Amino acid sequence: MTEKASQFEAIYRANYHKVVRICEGYVNGDGPLANDLTQEVFIKVWEHLHTFRNESNISTWVYRITVNTCLLELRKKKYTKASAHLERIAEAEEDLTSTKENQLQRMHNCINKLPKESRSIILLELEGLPQIEIAKIIGVSHEAIRVRVHRIKQGLTKCVQHENIR
Amino acid sequence: MKTFDELKKDWQGQSQPEVPQDGPNRIIEKITFLKMGQRITNIILSITALLLIGFFFYVAAYNYRTVTMGLFLMVGALTVRIVLEAISIRNIKKMDVTEDAVVFRQRLLSYYKQRQKVHYLVTPIVILAYCIGFLMLLPSFKASLSAGFYTYIVVSSMVLLLVLGLFIIKQIRKELSLLRELKD
Repeated sequence: MTEKASQFEAIYRANYHKVVRICEGYVNGDGPLANDLTQEVFIKVWEHLHTFRNESNISTWVYRITVNTCLLELRKKKYTKASAHLERIAEAEEDLTSTKENQLQRMHNCINKLPKESRSIILLELEGLPQIEIAKIIGVSHEAIRVRVHRIKQGLTKCVQHENIR
Repeated sequence: MKTFDELKKDWQGQSQPEVPQDGPNRIIEKITFLKMGQRITNIILSITALLLIGFFFYVAAYNYRTVTMGLFLMVGALTVRIVLEAISIRNIKKMDVTEDAVVFRQRLLSYYKQRQKVHYLVTPIVILAYCIGFLMLLPSFKASLSAGFYTYIVVSSMVLLLVLGLFIIKQIRKELSLLRELKD
């Protein structure tokens, strides 16, 4: 295995779960679509690995690629059909025995209502990234992110509490 | 009533599938496959262009001014459209996903605005040139083809134009909606 391949494998294993969850946030929690997006993200990681200059944390770099790739790939037809996933869930809502699952779907539904940039910010916040890292990924000041995270957090909590999937 | 921190905890605690064991290898294989696909597309486009040029000389179209002009307009219009699409695909593939999200979003916005210019300005000219070229060829078609085949060509090209037009309209509407989403 080449040095690049082993470095890539380490990055893949360390960041896979977070990348999948962020991607799910862009496609209303649709697992198969999120997996396709995840694959696109790691293709970009491989293609740009030689440009990584250790100026930031490698995971910050990977999440930046994740946010941008999700934005880029959403133009493709299969991803615009992600809303069909929510409809399927709404139809099967009675079958969702677990309240936790139900709540996660409500979260996806609420996240989906946010503008694209706010969506990226809250998905990174939900993954527990420090706000200074989120600021680096989004490209705004730490102070601006702090204010925006606070506002989006309030909106999301209110939405999850009151929103039904239907 | 759950607080945001509780929601965050639930979010992070959601069940996750195992990291695919062969995931990294599958990605490296897919990249090799994609590169091969691009090479095949380039070969097919080059062969098509060569065939069209070959056909032009085979039927000695250069002896007939109107036919030459008609063919030139049709092939030229198609070529312009294909080249513009190829440039557009290359530009979007070249976008640097490692930039921060604000800069990246701005680049994506400029990309779609550029696409709108192509859709609203270049595409109608291309379609018009294609139609004029076709109309120029019609007299020679009528002179050299049977009445049935001539009618078939006229009807089928109208259907083709209609399908192509609908496809382009759909594409423009999709890109406009993406542009609106990016702006919000």
